[in-house]
Amino acid sequence: MYHIAESWFQQQGWSPFPFQKQSWGAFLDGKHGLLNAPTGSGKTYALWFPIVLDYINRNPGYKTKHKKGLKAIWITPLRALSQEIRQSAERITKDLETQMTVGIRTGDTTTSERARQKKSMPDLLITTPESLHLLLSSKGYKTVFKNCSAIVVDEWHELLGSKRGVQMELGLSRLKTICPNLRIWGISATIGNLEQAREVLLGPSSPQLANSVLIKANLNKKIAVKSIIPSKMETFPWRGHLGLHLLEEVVPIINNSKTTLLFTNTRGQCEIWFQKILEKHPEYAGEIAMHHGSINKDTRLWVEQAIRNESLKAVVCTSSLDLGVDFAPVETVVQIGGPKGVARFLQRAGRSGHRPGKESVIYFLPTHAIELIEASAMQKAVLNAAVEDRTPYLNSYDVLIQYLTTLAVSDGFYPDEIFNEVKQTFCFQTLTHDIWQWLLNFLVMGSQSLKSYDEYKKVEVTEDGKFKVNLLSIARRHRFQIGTIVGDASLSVRYQKGGYIGTIEESFISKMNPGDVFTFAGRNLEFIRIKGMTAQVRNSPKRSNKIPSWMGGRLSFSAKMSELLRQELYSAEQALDTQAPEIRALAPMFAKQREESIVPQPDQFLIETFKTNDGYHHIFYPFEGRAIHEGMSSLLAYRISLLSPITCSLAFNDYGFELLSDKSIDIAAVLDNNLFTPGYMLSDLQKSLNSNEMARRKFRDIAVISGMVFTGYPEKGVKMKHLQSSSQLLFDVFKDIEDDNLLYQQAFTETFEHQLEEGRLRLALERIGRQEIIWKQCTNPTPFSFPIITDRLREKLSNEKLADRIKRMTKLLTK
Amino acid sequence: MTQEIQILGQEFVLHPLGGLFWKEKSMLLISDVHLGKVAHFRKFGAAVPRKAIHKNYVLLDQIVAEFEPFQICFLGDLFHSSLNKEWDLFENWVAKTPSELILVSGNHDIISPLKFEQLGIPIYNELVVEGFLLTHHPEQRDGLFNFCGHIHPAIRLRGFGRQNLRLACFFQSQNQLIFPAFGAFTGTHTLHPKKGDKVFAIVEDEVIQV
Repeated sequence: MYHIAESWFQQQGWSPFPFQKQSWGAFLDGKHGLLNAPTGSGKTYALWFPIVLDYINRNPGYKTKHKKGLKAIWITPLRALSQEIRQSAERITKDLETQMTVGIRTGDTTTSERARQKKSMPDLLITTPESLHLLLSSKGYKTVFKNCSAIVVDEWHELLGSKRGVQMELGLSRLKTICPNLRIWGISATIGNLEQAREVLLGPSSPQLANSVLIKANLNKKIAVKSIIPSKMETFPWRGHLGLHLLEEVVPIINNSKTTLLFTNTRGQCEIWFQKILEKHPEYAGEIAMHHGSINKDTRLWVEQAIRNESLKAVVCTSSLDLGVDFAPVETVVQIGGPKGVARFLQRAGRSGHRPGKESVIYFLPTHAIELIEASAMQKAVLNAAVEDRTPYLNSYDVLIQYLTTLAVSDGFYPDEIFNEVKQTFCFQTLTHDIWQWLLNFLVMGSQSLKSYDEYKKVEVTEDGKFKVNLLSIARRHRFQIGTIVGDASLSVRYQKGGYIGTIEESFISKMNPGDVFTFAGRNLEFIRIKGMTAQVRNSPKRSNKIPSWMGGRLSFSAKMSELLRQELYSAEQALDTQAPEIRALAPMFAKQREESIVPQPDQFLIETFKTNDGYHHIFYPFEGRAIHEGMSSLLAYRISLLSPITCSLAFNDYGFELLSDKSIDIAAVLDNNLFTPGYMLSDLQKSLNSNEMARRKFRDIAVISGMVFTGYPEKGVKMKHLQSSSQLLFDVFKDIEDDNLLYQQAFTETFEHQLEEGRLRLALERIGRQEIIWKQCTNPTPFSFPIITDRLREKLSNEKLADRIKRMTKLLTK
Repeated sequence: MTQEIQILGQEFVLHPLGGLFWKEKSMLLISDVHLGKVAHFRKFGAAVPRKAIHKNYVLLDQIVAEFEPFQICFLGDLFHSSLNKEWDLFENWVAKTPSELILVSGNHDIISPLKFEQLGIPIYNELVVEGFLLTHHPEQRDGLFNFCGHIHPAIRLRGFGRQNLRLACFFQSQNQLIFPAFGAFTGTHTLHPKKGDKVFAIVEDEVIQV
């Protein structure tokens, strides 16, 4: 059959890769599978082809007689990618002279287009997980999917470690039943747990998994990693996150390559770099551009097109350019600041050198001294392809409640049928009948028992046992809220006449007064007023330092990366000629560090204490990554508080953590009492105030996803502040009077498993248990401590009697 | 632990549940209870635990038992929403509470005054009692000291070692005392005190002047 595909490739002057041929064969043999292939490798052709060939196979008269109706679904996590996917699909359907149609259905699709699709679905549909669920929430959805014979989940690795992955699992569990001939395929970039990724996609112990393949593209692409090492190490800062000190080093890199992508970690950093390059080098005007998720879609598309046309020298961007689209002209990539993950670094490196035989070149630009250690570790990681796992969620009851409501909104569901489907998924493989009953009660009664004065209304049960939403208002509200991404509320930024510039977080704009000037999308804008969900602005000749900062971007090192990082650090005490150039360059900083403290070795665990105007600093260096330090600092602070009442604030980064207090902590007592023991870790963590705070934040998303808090109609919007406070109030109510609620408990499970990575934390404590503890009492902050103590985003912990604290604080209350 | 204060020569007791007792008048003043909020949420499909409904009545009983006031004056937002079945619970509470009840109405009080009158609760837009102006929204009027609610005031405290803390409070300025919200299922709004303002923060079971 696939000679058709091969001859098509010949006509283009290409020859298919082995992985493409393997995929065609496996698909046409009726197999399910997971394809491991990087972006820009021709993965779309690996699966669109057999889908079209399969149709041709079954309809020999395909050139003249077209059978209408949905035949295949392509799921993409980013709607920005959908155009590209459509183009490659249309190339095939047209060149092979089929009459198949290709359509897109995402949040951007107009209502008229959606209505048209509803009447007559395209043959091939490109959509997102959310839009797929929206289809499941419409009446008569079963007929729409009846003849669908394939579903492809693209960028599965992106979905896998998130609740969108759970949403996808649930959607697939339904489709398996209503589409009798469905083939399920996933496409994933390289991650540590590919086998598990296949299991999650197809369902553990499912017939689909038994009849499936894992195909690896194995395109051995050469990647060259180069660190940008500051020429004058003495003046290179110990802290910071912008990296502007090295701006001039980037200029020759830009000049020497056709197109350069500069990846930053946050949108704020992206804005600043763009601004500063133009300021220092006005000659680039018109030749450099900026690309991030908050800029309006047209501008982004324009930038993407300009990269392809080779009309840009450089683009400053964020993760918004991580995925999808192929940019052949990109020759060089610069990563500004630690990327925090090997997979992400590789992905970004792969954005360059798409021409055959060319190697990918990526520069690592450190933003402060210690990041040079990360730069060196990253090179080793790339050599070993030490890529992280993506951990799938388990028992996400909030997503399940949303899904069940979705089914109740459309045609209604019978619990027995759906229970069996849900139980087949990876996420809910341990689901019991008791929990199932709890969830059903929650949907119908909003609690576990019925009371006469209660007016709770959502899902109702018909006489024959079907669960159904009858109220139109509830159905309508539910459809608006389908999805599992709960971001900060964003406002659109527009000129008074309506020109759309982008979106901005409410928390930023709420601090602005009319007349204030801020920098956004590379322009200086004067804030006029907020109208509805829009911030109105005008251009301003004034300059401003106010740049919106977006949360997020605070990722943690993986276990593998932390291990490599420690090894690089330990090499500081080895002979100079055996060291990596980055470590050698750090010699002045290590010397400074040794003046008051040490550079720890594999068998040592370093603690530093000193006092500044801010208070008493106690700093611990496990070098295990942010997430682990967050948990460990909370645990340690709790255990210290058992020795004597204390109030402290916690700060942490990828290298260590700090307890900052208004009183000195007795470190000798900490060591004598063996406070780093892994014993009773979980119960201690649960009692620590900080994990409570983390759970409270997790609960916000859970409350929204499960529909307990309504996010409001689009453009009208409930302000995030209100959402925040109503979910906080809810959390407190559950804590007080219904702490066995599954959704409340889920907030804690997610905190321990996903945020604090309890398994890794235990290993880290065991490692510390085997190390010699070195406690240095310093007079001044050390270079290692600097990035930590200057971190302003802190967690707090206290077990002192509140009244005592307040009496002490009162003295400091001014204004 | 309560806190006693004097205003215009009258004696008042600030209670950590968020009420104020006027000794000379034997009058308990309470603001922003927001009854019916839980039932309101549930009616619209948000599964706030049903038991939360009772919490407000438990707190009301507790503070009434402590002062045994002759009168209880609610400074607005007694009921959060339009009529729902929680009204029945409120009727029961009114029936068993011996004190006289008065409501100064607030922006949330949209239930017909007739319903309150049936229970013997008179409703006023504002009330002037011996130099004190009782309103829901904060007001300034010459020669009168204003008791009011509406804002749900809280205060932020900072300390050495970059500590900070947010607490609900009674917020007193020159001619005004703003009450904290009494209701269990209500949020707060942070105020910044100026010179001369007095802040009585609610710290667990104590009222502490900061």
